[in-house]
Amino acid sequence: MRSGSVLLAGGIAVTWGVVYLVTQVIVDPPLGVGTTVVAGVVVTLVVVLGYPSALRGPRSATVLRRGPEPRRGGPRSIVAGGRAMPLRSGLTADAARRTADLLRPLLGGDAVAITDTERLLAFVGPGEDHHRAGGPVRARVTLKAIASGRSATSRSTADLGCGEPDCPLAGAVAAPLMVADRVVGALVVLRTGPEPAGRGQVEDMAGILSLHLELAEADRERELAADARLHALRAQINPHFLFNVLNTIASKSRTDPEEARALLLRLSDFFRYAVRQDGQLAEFAQEYFFVRTYLTLEQARFGDRLRVRYDIDPQVLTAHVPVLTIQPLVENAVKHGLADKVDGGTVTLRARVDPLTRTTSIRVSDDGVGMPPEVLEELDGPHLTASPDGGRRARAGGGAGRGPAAGETGDGETDDAAGGDREGGGTTRHLHTGVGLRNISQRLTTLFGGRFSLDVRSTPDEGTVVDLRVPLR
Amino acid sequence: MTAAGATALVALVTALVLVAWLVRPRGTSTVDFYLAGQRVGVATNALAICGDYFSAASFLGVAAAVYVSGLDGVWYAVGFAAGFVPVLLFVAAPLRRFGEFSIPDFLGRRLGSERVRLVSVGVVQVVILSYLIPQAVGSGITWQLLVGRGLPGLDPYGTGVLLSTMFVAALVAFGGMRGTTWTQAVQFLVLLGALVWLALAAIGSGFRYPEAVSDLSATPLANPVPGPTGWELHAETDQLDPGTAATFGEPGAAYGPLAQFALILTLVMGTAGLPHVMNRYFTSPTGTAARMTTVWVLGLAGLFYALAVMLGTAARRRIADAADEHAWLAALTTDGVLRVPEHALPVLGRLYGGDIGLAVIAAGALVAVMSTIAGLLLAAAASWGHDVYERHINPRATQRQAVWAGRASTAVVALAAAGMAMVLQPDSLAPSVPSIVAAMVTWAFAIAGSALTPVFVLAIWWRGTTAAGAVAGMLTGGVTSISMFVLGMLPVGPGIGETLVTPTLVAAPLAAVVCVLVSRATRPPDDVDRQWLIMHGTAADRQAERLAHLTISSLGRGRRDRQKGD
Amino acid sequence: MDDAGIRLDVDEHDTPAEVDAAFRTLRRVAVWHFVLFLAAVLGVPALSLTLGWWSGARIDGGMSPGFAMAAFGLYVFFLAVGLAAATLSSAVEARMLGGAHDDTTEAGTEDTP
Repeated sequence: MRSGSVLLAGGIAVTWGVVYLVTQVIVDPPLGVGTTVVAGVVVTLVVVLGYPSALRGPRSATVLRRGPEPRRGGPRSIVAGGRAMPLRSGLTADAARRTADLLRPLLGGDAVAITDTERLLAFVGPGEDHHRAGGPVRARVTLKAIASGRSATSRSTADLGCGEPDCPLAGAVAAPLMVADRVVGALVVLRTGPEPAGRGQVEDMAGILSLHLELAEADRERELAADARLHALRAQINPHFLFNVLNTIASKSRTDPEEARALLLRLSDFFRYAVRQDGQLAEFAQEYFFVRTYLTLEQARFGDRLRVRYDIDPQVLTAHVPVLTIQPLVENAVKHGLADKVDGGTVTLRARVDPLTRTTSIRVSDDGVGMPPEVLEELDGPHLTASPDGGRRARAGGGAGRGPAAGETGDGETDDAAGGDREGGGTTRHLHTGVGLRNISQRLTTLFGGRFSLDVRSTPDEGTVVDLRVPLR
Repeated sequence: MTAAGATALVALVTALVLVAWLVRPRGTSTVDFYLAGQRVGVATNALAICGDYFSAASFLGVAAAVYVSGLDGVWYAVGFAAGFVPVLLFVAAPLRRFGEFSIPDFLGRRLGSERVRLVSVGVVQVVILSYLIPQAVGSGITWQLLVGRGLPGLDPYGTGVLLSTMFVAALVAFGGMRGTTWTQAVQFLVLLGALVWLALAAIGSGFRYPEAVSDLSATPLANPVPGPTGWELHAETDQLDPGTAATFGEPGAAYGPLAQFALILTLVMGTAGLPHVMNRYFTSPTGTAARMTTVWVLGLAGLFYALAVMLGTAARRRIADAADEHAWLAALTTDGVLRVPEHALPVLGRLYGGDIGLAVIAAGALVAVMSTIAGLLLAAAASWGHDVYERHINPRATQRQAVWAGRASTAVVALAAAGMAMVLQPDSLAPSVPSIVAAMVTWAFAIAGSALTPVFVLAIWWRGTTAAGAVAGMLTGGVTSISMFVLGMLPVGPGIGETLVTPTLVAAPLAAVVCVLVSRATRPPDDVDRQWLIMHGTAADRQAERLAHLTISSLGRGRRDRQKGD
Repeated sequence: MDDAGIRLDVDEHDTPAEVDAAFRTLRRVAVWHFVLFLAAVLGVPALSLTLGWWSGARIDGGMSPGFAMAAFGLYVFFLAVGLAAATLSSAVEARMLGGAHDDTTEAGTEDTP
């Protein structure tokens, strides 16, 4: 159960408790049963309706500077033998130590050691007084396993490379730990008696550990990829945008120096925010600041042609959203929706929170030129749904006055032939939009797995609506 | 009243004035507000707003209304306290940010029209006048009880009305009572102190609130009315359930079903249109501070009215028992019930504290009356002198001429209020309404809430408001509410009259609808966007805060440097 | 406090679109609170007209629920509604207007334009 529902359930329980107390316990005579139920229901309705309404929202005037770090890479509690598997976070000394503790009773050995390719990471069991973690790998059997990539068995104390004469250990089985055909370490099971542990059993366990290590590696790679995408996005901030804004400021500095100064400040705000964000999530209020800074700069350039409308719920201001996600959506709307439209248009940013389903929904819409269907088809994917607007389809099918849909397509083709250069340029740019949206979609996948949706609907000449829903954090 | 009591009263008032003068902060500015800690500034300002707002109606009137009508009188307390919630939600911050000095100024600049300014000056004058009359009545009643003697040719009541009004008018006119934030704050503290003292005295002498309510509700509520053979007790009938007797703890002693809602709504809507209260909001440093000030006002008002209701109950309970024991009280009562309900608090003060107690309560009442009269006269003088004389009658007026215009208007308004207060002597009206003072204040609230508040709120929250719409709305609200009063004064029948004298229920929606319709048909001013930036933007607030922070930190640095130097 | 970071030369500046956004959000906040307020303030007399128990029952042998509400409860409620609306409105304004350049830790290193 999500925490929003828990909160609401608790609230309702408390409400009924208070209603009971007020109407039945402290008052004499108690209120009739029917009326009490009506009163309770009315109060409950007020609580339920008030919970997602504008009655709730931030209370403190100080804005949180940095969001909490996201739980990266999805759930970490992949279970091995009914217990959490420490190696899931990678081959570290701490994880190795906990893994060795976990495995010793399972493997029937007297001591368990885990190494990477050079060092002993953990040693648990008899002999741990001198087989210290952090020392180099000396046992010949282990070195052999690491070098060959196959398991090795030893029945003599000499093979263990132990200089200590009183060492109780007599035999060992070493199995390599592999990540994608590469040996990263070894699992060693040691015995005080001459009979070594079952080789097959040790190999199986090493295989399971290898799988976990592989998953850990994949996690890390995905995180790196997410960071890399974020970096790419930052670097991608369009140089044209900077030039355009600087040009605008230069021309305003003669006509309206006051505004030019304000714009320059906005520009520095814009870049400072883009560069200094170092988490994956930020408070919506901060992302909103970034968006309005961007739009203020664009508005200075486009003048009356770019109109902006924000529709923002108070509760959404403190919700955490992925950084640098909304601004690219808005930028798409401006660049691809409105820039080509002669009389301009309106960009609308609508942000809402549904505290019951724990969803933040953000909608960026414009009444610009829209996207051609082929670009939308290109975009359509598992998390990114893109479709021509339903309304248009209905109209195209049912509107006899406008002729059959095929006729329209034909017109489009002739247009293409006539002004191929311009159209071609447009398509390239639309593909650019596609790249931007796909980047966002991939980043969201690493952050939220499948628990988000990015929905693009567009109608040529009527505009584009991008709906983004992410879990409420 | 004895000489000891009179001396006590004089000493008290003198001490108050002296204390207020001695501990006044010297020089106030935005930076001072922050230097004193924002919280202190906000609290002081809240106290000052309370000083302006709590008048004789709140101090004597609420307790009197509870005394006469029980729960139906409590609605006055609820309504007066609730009035600041809409102020907080809709008015406080934008009004402060827009930064004009009075309601006519605000509407005139917001809608870019002199016509709106003049019409709102007219409405504001009507509100001020109808608010002044009950204050004058309150001072007359206090004088009657305290001194009991009049000037040659005048009864005690008329003397009180005339003296207090003229005294305050002279003070205001010649700059002796410039209504600084601090003075108003101290005046409110005196009021609150008087109430707290009385409440503690009542509880100390064995008054138990819940039991008192329960006991009083056990018997039918009866109040004295002048009959052919002198005063006699007359049981109130239940307006909600005709034929049965009304009781203290249940509604219906004064108001019918519709009138209950009409009364509350009238008081709730009225506060946002009271000129002397709204003028106070401009002393807040920022819009956010104005908002927090109102939160404080809500807390203080809640405390004040909860105490006033409790003391009204205490008076009903205690005076009935005490009437037989005191000869002076027997002269004021009929079968243990006061003839003039406004006497409830002063009598209670005398019962618990002797002549000194009476003097404390009387001082509180006089302070309440005088601070409110001063605020109202200042608002009146400002709107005549600034909005009318300087702008329309004599645009090239010198500063001196404008001041004289203000003084002249103060005198005229004060005289008019005093004259009407004498005509409306409470003895002739008392039985028809719970408390004549509280009821008269309701008229001011009704006109303010019907004519000013709807237009005011629309001008702040709706871009489409136009000058023509505002004028139409104000005139509709004003004319509707006043004609409903006049109708309500005529004998129209039981139940309808009470609703008619609290006309906001009808007049405010009507005014809003007319304002919207006319605005739709006309063009709004062109610079709405610019005005929105000022009214709803926080740029100026942030600038002020930045400046204050800078000043504070540079002072702090200076202090550190000095310490290093030592 | 690092006062070198406060820059007086930064003129605070709002754009019409930003102010409009804050205005709409604040209007929604105000209207919702007003509805809640009105429901309570009219609900008390409405209950006393419709529900006999409201004026007839006794809390702890003394006041009726209706009287207690009018004598104390409503004032507490007004304060609560006022406080909720004021803090929410101020927090919304702080987040929806103005910029990040007012923070004192970072701006000190910034070059002034």
